[in-house]
Amino acid sequence: MDTVTGTLSAPVLSKPVKPVNRKWKHLRENAPFLLMILPAVVVVFLFCYLPIYGVLIAFQDFMPGDPILSKDTIWVGFENFSRFFNDPQFWPLMKNTFLICIFGFVIGFPLPIIISLTLNALKSKKVGKTLQTIFTAPHFISLVVLVGMLSLFFGSGGLLASIARHFGGEYESLFLKDSAFRPLYILSSNWQDFGWSAVIYIAALSNVDPQQHEAAILDGATRFQRVIHVDLPAIMPMISVMLIMSIGGLMGVGYEKALLMQTDANLSVSELVSTYVYKRGLTGVPDQAYASAIGLFNSVINVVLLIIANTTSKKFSENSLW
Amino acid sequence: MAEVILKDLKKVYDNKVTAVHDVNLHIKDKEFIVLVGPSGCGKSTTLRMVAGLEEISDGELYIDGRLVNEVAPKDRDIAMVFQNYALYPHMTVYDNMAFALKLRKVSKADIDKKVREVAEILDITQYLSRKPKALSGGQRQRVAIGRAMVRDPKVFLMDEPLSNLDAKLRNQMRAEIIKLRSRINTTFMYVTHDQTEAMTLGDRIVIMKDGFVNQIGTPQEVFNKPVNLFVAGFIGMPVMNFFDRCKLLLEGGKYYAEIRGVKFELDEFQQKALKKNGVEPCDIVAGIRPQHVTVGEGKLSATIEVSEMMGSEYNIHARCGEDEVVMLIPTVDLTTDVSMGKTVSFTTKPGLIQLFDKATGNNLIWFDADSMANNAPVCKSYE
Amino acid sequence: MEKALQPKKRRNAMRDTLGDKVFYTINGIFLGLVALIVLYPLYFIVIASISNTDAVLAGEVVLLPKDITLDGYAKILEHKEIWNGYLNTLIYTGLTVVLSLLVTIPAGWALSRKTLPGKKWFMIFFIIPMFFGGGLIPFYNVMSSLGLVNTIWAIILPSILSVWNLFMSKTFFESSIPNGLIEAAKIDGAGQWRIFASVVIPLSKAVIAVMALYYAVGQWNSYFNAMIFLQDETKYPLQLVLKEILIASESTVGGSGETMLEQFRLANQLKYVSVIASSLPVLCLYPFVQKYFAQGVMIGSLKE
Repeated sequence: MDTVTGTLSAPVLSKPVKPVNRKWKHLRENAPFLLMILPAVVVVFLFCYLPIYGVLIAFQDFMPGDPILSKDTIWVGFENFSRFFNDPQFWPLMKNTFLICIFGFVIGFPLPIIISLTLNALKSKKVGKTLQTIFTAPHFISLVVLVGMLSLFFGSGGLLASIARHFGGEYESLFLKDSAFRPLYILSSNWQDFGWSAVIYIAALSNVDPQQHEAAILDGATRFQRVIHVDLPAIMPMISVMLIMSIGGLMGVGYEKALLMQTDANLSVSELVSTYVYKRGLTGVPDQAYASAIGLFNSVINVVLLIIANTTSKKFSENSLW
Repeated sequence: MAEVILKDLKKVYDNKVTAVHDVNLHIKDKEFIVLVGPSGCGKSTTLRMVAGLEEISDGELYIDGRLVNEVAPKDRDIAMVFQNYALYPHMTVYDNMAFALKLRKVSKADIDKKVREVAEILDITQYLSRKPKALSGGQRQRVAIGRAMVRDPKVFLMDEPLSNLDAKLRNQMRAEIIKLRSRINTTFMYVTHDQTEAMTLGDRIVIMKDGFVNQIGTPQEVFNKPVNLFVAGFIGMPVMNFFDRCKLLLEGGKYYAEIRGVKFELDEFQQKALKKNGVEPCDIVAGIRPQHVTVGEGKLSATIEVSEMMGSEYNIHARCGEDEVVMLIPTVDLTTDVSMGKTVSFTTKPGLIQLFDKATGNNLIWFDADSMANNAPVCKSYE
Repeated sequence: MEKALQPKKRRNAMRDTLGDKVFYTINGIFLGLVALIVLYPLYFIVIASISNTDAVLAGEVVLLPKDITLDGYAKILEHKEIWNGYLNTLIYTGLTVVLSLLVTIPAGWALSRKTLPGKKWFMIFFIIPMFFGGGLIPFYNVMSSLGLVNTIWAIILPSILSVWNLFMSKTFFESSIPNGLIEAAKIDGAGQWRIFASVVIPLSKAVIAVMALYYAVGQWNSYFNAMIFLQDETKYPLQLVLKEILIASESTVGGSGETMLEQFRLANQLKYVSVIASSLPVLCLYPFVQKYFAQGVMIGSLKE
């Protein structure tokens, strides 16, 4: 012990450590990470941030081909937006978009939860796995094929038409009836995605400690009571997160599927904000500034909805996205 | 094959929490040093600073005379065995051991020679083509050691290498590490929370608590001359008995320890040491190791609460007023009835009593205030 | 003796109560019905594709195929546009998968490291686009000013990074690559690139597979970017060709009954067959890779 003390108290070949050096060294050591992340940054910059910059045209009198910022740029403030609010299409568009989202939410939100709970409550795990495989399969069908299948069932040459013809009845394609558009759209979306949406709940359910179930059995709980008192609470946090995200998407329905299902006959209900943006901005005589303004208006609504949902959830429970 | 010098080594996280306070340690060439302490005492952090896995916040670290504070782990010429082995699951045992050499551009033939040689020593030759998953815990441990051995490092670092093994394997591997050590012949730094491992493996032991070094010494030193209550309580199995509310008396030029009203005249060595340190009479905590208790004689008495027959010895838990006393009595020496509920008398040799200042927790005889090896703050408790 | 020692055949560990039995029965019936709803449309497409067109149009094919024929399949073999679309889609999907992995996996690894300089800023940079975008029109304008319109890169480049996938891989790396391994590799003398190539990649097969599948399915099934960016029909991917075959006819209202029926007759079988031909690769692959898909969802769910 003494020798140790002796050696240490002697001034050893000391060199002061420079903290400035250290920062530089840290950077050099971790520079490979910067290179690894660079391609992703470039891609996101090009395809996400440049369009965000490009949305400036919503405040301009813009002709396709104009530079976004130059001294000739004509700024018109919110004129494009007020044009939209006064557009006779405004209220129908809002209504169509909102209704398709809210009906979709009312059916599509609880369905995966019910499916996951019932699947999990099956006695045979093997049957459960098989059913899960079957339920998730439609998720991988493309939208084009899905809408194609809808027409093969409900279109003018489809199964229902054939059966009607078989019995000598009259049949009008559901694609030509405006009252049929929303049910067709929502039910087919749910048919396609309920199984996939359930996977995340099933994963959470598989993590429930079996001892919790055993304890509940000894307490005298039936299987149904266990679903309510053991399984459901286990996926509750997941449910709230999903709820926040769904509310954030309440005006965010995309154009891909609606465009495929649109016909001249059902336009009065099938024209959504997003499809209208597409039509005004990219088809016919494009009015890009106007279309961008509508798109921007819509995404601002979405962000606001998301923030409201998240703040509310944070206030009333410990679950939130951020 | 190198000296390692830690000078005022310090680790501060986020400019707030200090995990390691100014550790000073001079590890001699080919020495086997063990860092031991309860979890969170900073022993692993210290080792990881030596390895280069943690940034050194302050102080200097020398390996073989070279300041290596800012040197990357791979250029420090060290090897490390991890607690969870950290074997590459996708590589065979052979590739796991060869990986470091490959990265150092050692020729294939040399790699092969070295790997096989080490595998032979560790008795894992038959597993060379297996993946780690197909090995038992003990075999994985050997591979982890082998991976470090092939490099012939200047310093061999081991971070709780045995803690994932079951008790039997742990004893076995401990013995093997002792054997290996004579073959590897390099400087070792070994971290453990198990005092038995520390005692059996270390040339010297560094006992740490809350980021401070409490004592550095040989196993004999830390066992016989604990500098404070913490070291006394941490080293030794079963744990040392502590008697609160004792007094150090000075009567007629002689020191006495008064334990529960019974006066013990301290032996000659203790008298001299206390005199030399100029110790005044004071309140003390007296420590007596369970092995040093004699039952059936003496003026102290205790009521037996639990009596465990361990085969060659009895492990007796007794109550002596507010204090609990553990006594380890060899079966052959036992003439008294030690069944539960009995009251027995007991005593010890005065020279075996450890005397701790109640106010500071420091050993009145062995605490050396000038030693840089102990920078710990006052340690009043032995828990 | 031996026989006596043998335990009696184990009884079912627990007896169900009546309530449980009712519950299990209802539950089973419910799930059976759901399975039927999912499976029947797929089943119908299959039987309709191998039945006589006239029988299908006459509503005689509902539960079983009738007058089994492979005419439709023979016809599709001659359909040049479909095969050209198929080839294009294969190329687009292949390129997308390769490029997306090259972009996503290293970035996910870098993002999972605490020592990434400026990590906080990178996180914000990637999170913002998850919630806010410029919208369709500015996106189109960017693509056209980059000169990508009517090139295959308009289909591929925007799809090579999904921020969701990026965060999923980041979560995987954080939770599944033990830190000890990385430290061991450092001490073994490996640099950051070597650690990534020799330790991380071999241990990340699961997440690489998941990412590859997500990107592949996404590209295989997409039509919209192709629709707005490609004018040259020889570049059309499969989905766009299918859109013409399957959907275009729905919007035409007019036409006399007879020609309409004739049109249906010709087009109908092709429709069923093309649905099968286009979905087959994904649906066949799917049961084998489903555990990876589910894994992906679980990796994603760790985030919360």
